[in-house]
Amino acid sequence: MYRIRFHGRGGQGMKTASRILGTAFFIEAFEVQDAPIYGAERRGAPVFAYVRAGREAINERGAITNPDLVVVADDTLVPVPAAGVLRGVTENTVLIINSVEEPETWRERLNLTGPVVTMPGVKVGDAQEVRFTGVVSAAAAAAVTGVISKTSFEAAIREEIAPLGEAVVDENLKRGVEAFDLTVKNGVSIKEGSTVSAAAYKRPEWIELGFESAAISAPAIHSAATSERMKTGLWRTVRPVIDYDRCNRCWWLCSTFCPDGAISVNKEGFPEIDYEHCKGCMICMAQCPPHAISAEAEHGRKEGGDEA
Amino acid sequence: MKTSETRFKGMRDLPSAHLLGTGTAMCAGCGGLEVLHEIYDILGKKTVFVNAAGCMTLLSIYPFTPFRGSWIYTAMASAPAGAQGVRDALDTLKRKERMKPADDLKVVCLTGDGSAYGMGLSSTSAAIDRGLDFLYICYDNEGYGNTGQQFSAATPHGARTSTSMGPRGFPGSKKDLFSIWAANSPAYAATVAGAEPLDLARKIEKADTAKGPRLILALSPCPVGWGYDPKDSVEIGKLAVKTGIWPLKEYIDGKVVHTKIPKKRLPVEEYLKRQGRFAHLFEPVRKDDILKEIQAGVDAYWEGVEG
Repeated sequence: MYRIRFHGRGGQGMKTASRILGTAFFIEAFEVQDAPIYGAERRGAPVFAYVRAGREAINERGAITNPDLVVVADDTLVPVPAAGVLRGVTENTVLIINSVEEPETWRERLNLTGPVVTMPGVKVGDAQEVRFTGVVSAAAAAAVTGVISKTSFEAAIREEIAPLGEAVVDENLKRGVEAFDLTVKNGVSIKEGSTVSAAAYKRPEWIELGFESAAISAPAIHSAATSERMKTGLWRTVRPVIDYDRCNRCWWLCSTFCPDGAISVNKEGFPEIDYEHCKGCMICMAQCPPHAISAEAEHGRKEGGDEA
Repeated sequence: MKTSETRFKGMRDLPSAHLLGTGTAMCAGCGGLEVLHEIYDILGKKTVFVNAAGCMTLLSIYPFTPFRGSWIYTAMASAPAGAQGVRDALDTLKRKERMKPADDLKVVCLTGDGSAYGMGLSSTSAAIDRGLDFLYICYDNEGYGNTGQQFSAATPHGARTSTSMGPRGFPGSKKDLFSIWAANSPAYAATVAGAEPLDLARKIEKADTAKGPRLILALSPCPVGWGYDPKDSVEIGKLAVKTGIWPLKEYIDGKVVHTKIPKKRLPVEEYLKRQGRFAHLFEPVRKDDILKEIQAGVDAYWEGVEG
């Protein structure tokens, strides 16, 4: 059975990638499961989708913990613990990563023994390229399986993208096939993982908590604004930066409009951005009357949530 | 209310510190979250939110909450019924003198349009009949956004949703929820937009002082469901007002009053062409009949207003 996990940010097409790959396997007469995470799929937030494909009935359920292949559509997610990119990766797991850095750099940085390849065919950090990330991710994955023909892959793209119209299908076919061919040239392939019987399942690493009174077991229940513990600044791919020389201390429009309340106003009347929580929607930049806010790419910074 | 009666005389009177906590699971550029944080700043901490299933269900995932007070989750059709229970419990506590009247809380329903215009309308109607003292906030993103933007009773004519993918988009029309409320003589009802924060603040101030069933119907541009860059959320909201597609109005003392009448309305195209959900009206061939139909609907509405 093949076990494949796609990691990206909401909006980068990981669900589409898993659909295309799943359908391609299906056309090749495999039993298939494909599913995205449900409930927390928010634009910019770390998301994943997965595909299982087997020659016999698949009895495994739930997220994949022992992947044969991990596709990372956004390399800024690697250091984000909540993204869980490296979960269950072993020396047998192939890692395909969308990055300007060399595979060898990633192998060393992450101390990996398995093969690492960079994803071919998308320009990293180019906003226009985001809409092709899904199809390119699916193409790279399909190519390294070695069991999906280009014809089946193309048919899968047609089937999954059809509702978006012919023009979009054509663009995706072109980019998908290009990436498929480039990946084949890389010569990397994944091995089919063995089926694990239910008896060999490992118990999840539960933390046992004894039964306590609510005051002890749920002490935070009356705490206010605990959501601030969630560092949603990690979702950001661009950051707004205020030029205080140009800020005219208006009626704090940026602070009023910021959906997340991540812009406060200090005693002098200047806005201050909370980068731990700013999701990078850039409404502040779009609405700032004297155009005192500009966009800076997060790409290349080590951590998304650090202070400027 | 004359300007002299409001504490929000100008933009500088708007809150510069915010009550709603950061770190929520709403999407970047969420128009609904923007409107909620603007409303919450005016309503204050002494609130209990009764949240029907929808995007905003994800605001409070134990143990995390952006609120300063209580929050309760109900099924999609039942937020006003939940609000009745909370109101009754508070009233009982007061009657039994187990809670000081000064500690009383405001009961606020928070639902999306799927619930407010459709599934929850029956329990809303019953709550209005009973004269329940509650504020109903609907963040209207014109579709079932949390599950992938299927059409709802609030979806506008011609919009593409994941369940109206045809070349002509959604064949139905947006239900007029404001008029349904107004026809039932509520204590107060108003439409607001996060892009118009001063108008919003004055309306929340009025809704807050009224007693009985009250509606705040908030346009909530949705970057994911409507198909535009998150930075344009406010711009899209402003265009909805300037084109006359989203009239800002209130029902007060038995009358409907428009609070902001666009002097020269922009053509509806200016609003539609900025959004992916209407792209099929322009590409690959322009669908003039639908565009004219939408414009005619807006013109007819304002003719009725301006007389």
